[in-house]
Amino acid sequence: MSAIATAPETTRATYAESRRHELRKTRLVMIDGSLSVNASSVEGGASERVYADGYWGFASAPTTDDASVARVRRQARENARAMARFGARAALRLAGGTHRGEHAFAGRKPLTPAECLERMGSLNAWCRSRYPKLKSVQVMLQQEHHRKWLATTDGSEVLNSIQRAACYVTLVAENDAGAPVELLERVSGKGSLADLDLSIESLAPRLDRTHEHLQAKRHAVPARGGRHTLVMGPNLAGILAHEAMGHPCEGDIVLGGAVTGDLLGTRIASDLVTMIDYAHHRDGEELMIPVYADDEGMPARDAVLIEHGILKEFMQSRETAARLGMAPTGSARAYAPGDEPLVRMRNTAILPGTSRLDDMIAGVDDGYLLLDTSNGQADSTTEFMFGINLGYEIKGGKRGRAIRDTTVSGSAIKVLQSVDAVSDDMVWSCSGYCGKKQPMVVSMGGPAIRAHAHLGGE
Amino acid sequence: MSMHDPGDSARRLRASAERALELMRAHGFEHAQASAARVVRHELNFNFNEPSLMRSTDVERLALSGLVDGRKASTELGEVEGGADLAERIAALHADARAAPQDAAHAVSAGERARIVQGPPEADLRLLADTVAEVLDVRAREAPKMMLEEGLAAHALLEAQTLTSGGSDLACRVGWYEASVMGTARDGQRASSFNHAGGRCHDLRGVPIVERFGIGAMLHDTQRQVDAQPIGASFTGDVVLMPQAVADVVGWLLGQLSDPALIARTSLYRERVGSPIGAPLLSLRSRFDAPGIAAISADAYATAPVEVLSGGRLCTLLPSLYGSRKTGLPHVPTPGGGWELDAGPTPRSEVIGGVPRGSLVGRLSMGHPASNGDFSGVIKNSFAIEHGEIAGALSETMISGNVAQMLKDVTAVSCERIDTGTLCLPWLRIGGVHFS
Repeated sequence: MSAIATAPETTRATYAESRRHELRKTRLVMIDGSLSVNASSVEGGASERVYADGYWGFASAPTTDDASVARVRRQARENARAMARFGARAALRLAGGTHRGEHAFAGRKPLTPAECLERMGSLNAWCRSRYPKLKSVQVMLQQEHHRKWLATTDGSEVLNSIQRAACYVTLVAENDAGAPVELLERVSGKGSLADLDLSIESLAPRLDRTHEHLQAKRHAVPARGGRHTLVMGPNLAGILAHEAMGHPCEGDIVLGGAVTGDLLGTRIASDLVTMIDYAHHRDGEELMIPVYADDEGMPARDAVLIEHGILKEFMQSRETAARLGMAPTGSARAYAPGDEPLVRMRNTAILPGTSRLDDMIAGVDDGYLLLDTSNGQADSTTEFMFGINLGYEIKGGKRGRAIRDTTVSGSAIKVLQSVDAVSDDMVWSCSGYCGKKQPMVVSMGGPAIRAHAHLGGE
Repeated sequence: MSMHDPGDSARRLRASAERALELMRAHGFEHAQASAARVVRHELNFNFNEPSLMRSTDVERLALSGLVDGRKASTELGEVEGGADLAERIAALHADARAAPQDAAHAVSAGERARIVQGPPEADLRLLADTVAEVLDVRAREAPKMMLEEGLAAHALLEAQTLTSGGSDLACRVGWYEASVMGTARDGQRASSFNHAGGRCHDLRGVPIVERFGIGAMLHDTQRQVDAQPIGASFTGDVVLMPQAVADVVGWLLGQLSDPALIARTSLYRERVGSPIGAPLLSLRSRFDAPGIAAISADAYATAPVEVLSGGRLCTLLPSLYGSRKTGLPHVPTPGGGWELDAGPTPRSEVIGGVPRGSLVGRLSMGHPASNGDFSGVIKNSFAIEHGEIAGALSETMISGNVAQMLKDVTAVSCERIDTGTLCLPWLRIGGVHFS
């Protein structure tokens, strides 16, 4: 533990944490064979956060030498003290808990820049040759590595090292009117780009499937706006979990007025729905964003948000646990060296059921099959949305015409209560960012789900 | 606490950029760009209607781009001096560039000059505290149902120096204040959607905080959104987009005019310069001198004012130097923000009054519009409009249409605008939108 941040002083502070944080990123973008972005970055720094007399103080510096650490320590204390301008306040008794350990993923030796570019070039050339009528092919590779050394006044000493990588291939065609139509295939996982299988052999079947969908989408029809029976494929269940009930179950969102605050212990979903924010493992396997202790040094545990339809608990930081009088979950994380920890999801999933996807489609006389999503947004009312960039009509239990890009939305509670089938498979991904004041790397997973929700359209 | 000598800081940034440029040349880069930047920021935060956190951050960045044999690579380091291993990092950057494919479109700027100094260089911490106290006071007095989940008053100072091997020399010292508020109204077990407002300015004094950035209106509107109902029918009607929703439309248009869409030829507007693409009421222009904006592009050009739309006619595309050389389109450098839609001739009340059936839309919660402009989204923080009058708040209501078509279907532009610093936008009335 030689690289550990030095333990903060306890003087006047009821709690303090010191963090040394390094964030390395690589981003490569190739548009039609031209490398338009070939960039890497290294961000680092020291930070200190102090809780004293009911207020927080935070400071960060871009360097981690002793003088910088001493400066941010002093500044954080001064900042907490300066808040006394708003009047004396009783300090909360923050939730306790300590963890000591180092956690890092032992992946393959990272790819060299030349190897990354060789893979991108091969992918671009293969797509161009296999799908010659495409208007454009875009390949993007991204990887990021967070290393955080943390020490807290209550004895936690932690190294958290989290790595994730993703490859995105966008295929662009034209519809009959000459307007662009596109679909994105993505592969993501724990570790660096070396830990993803980016071989043509591995990606070809996925890209062929994406290309088939793209051809269907060239002739897509608008969805009929309104409430429909939707079969949401496994790629969507994760974002449904994340946006629909994940955010409204974050302790700070609950304190901010989310309706979930009044619903603990009540039925908010069909009994087919169990949803968990996993800390680091599921069924003995380490997940994509493993958090053993959070950025407050709190041991991380699974948060069972919904169990067979009943709202069970929320995700917590030390402060939100204290304010809500609930058990901590180790969910406070900071994205960049200059960020303070906030309540964030880790690996959020709806658990698989017993149905088969084909049977779920066959059981729908008139509805939609939704297969891929772009982005999503949550709300304090639990009224969520996410963009749909790949979907089909379902007519008489069979897949019909592709639909144009649309949006699915609804009250999460009404939608989850309407779930009448959950498939027996499960898909995980960690390709996007969760945005909430700061970005954050998260993973999400789930099976296919059949429910009623609102679809945007004509 | 943010006391520092601006001269010292500027000299330090310049020395760092010079040293990096020299090292890059020594490592064999034929063309290079080095930007040293520092942002010092002080924030007073509130959470759950209470002051909570004071935050001081000092973030540095040394951004390097190098070209060798028509091949390019870029890197960003988290210290202005680049750390002890700067030479090693530059050697790695050289290897990255060597591995990249040749592309004749790569180049660095030459002969550009700019010195931009604007905004307050020092944080007035008492002013930040007074602003937070004022926001919390207003909430308690005028919007007691609001739970302000988070918000802040902040001051930031950006100092940067960019040098290129082509002799470009651009520097800035830009200070600004910020305020923002995000929250939800609660009444018993009923809650509104969350709502937010905020922006940047040169001084938080002089104008009450509720009159800045639409904060006061947001607090009052959100309280009225606790009792929201679905619109209850599918129909084609009008929307009046409030400035926050107009920002989504402007953002989509700017994306269509920028590198990725132009290079991939997915832009609807690549061949449309000089043609009408929007209603004659629409004029979009730059405000690169707005609070918090330095009129310098990322590829080291001083950015001259730009008119994008004039009376609905597309005046220009916005490719970077690389995008320009890649596509053969004229280069139009832009910084990372600073746009305004001209105010129209119509009072906001008449913009709304002209809607027989539709909605006043505060926020669009939607997936990214498709390349062809198709979109659908949930309208949040919104109200129904019936016979020109604002009616009840809406929930679970979606609209769909095509953003490119919406630009053409603008039928009124308000004379009032909200100025958030980086954007200054009016209310727009747009017809032909599908509600469901």
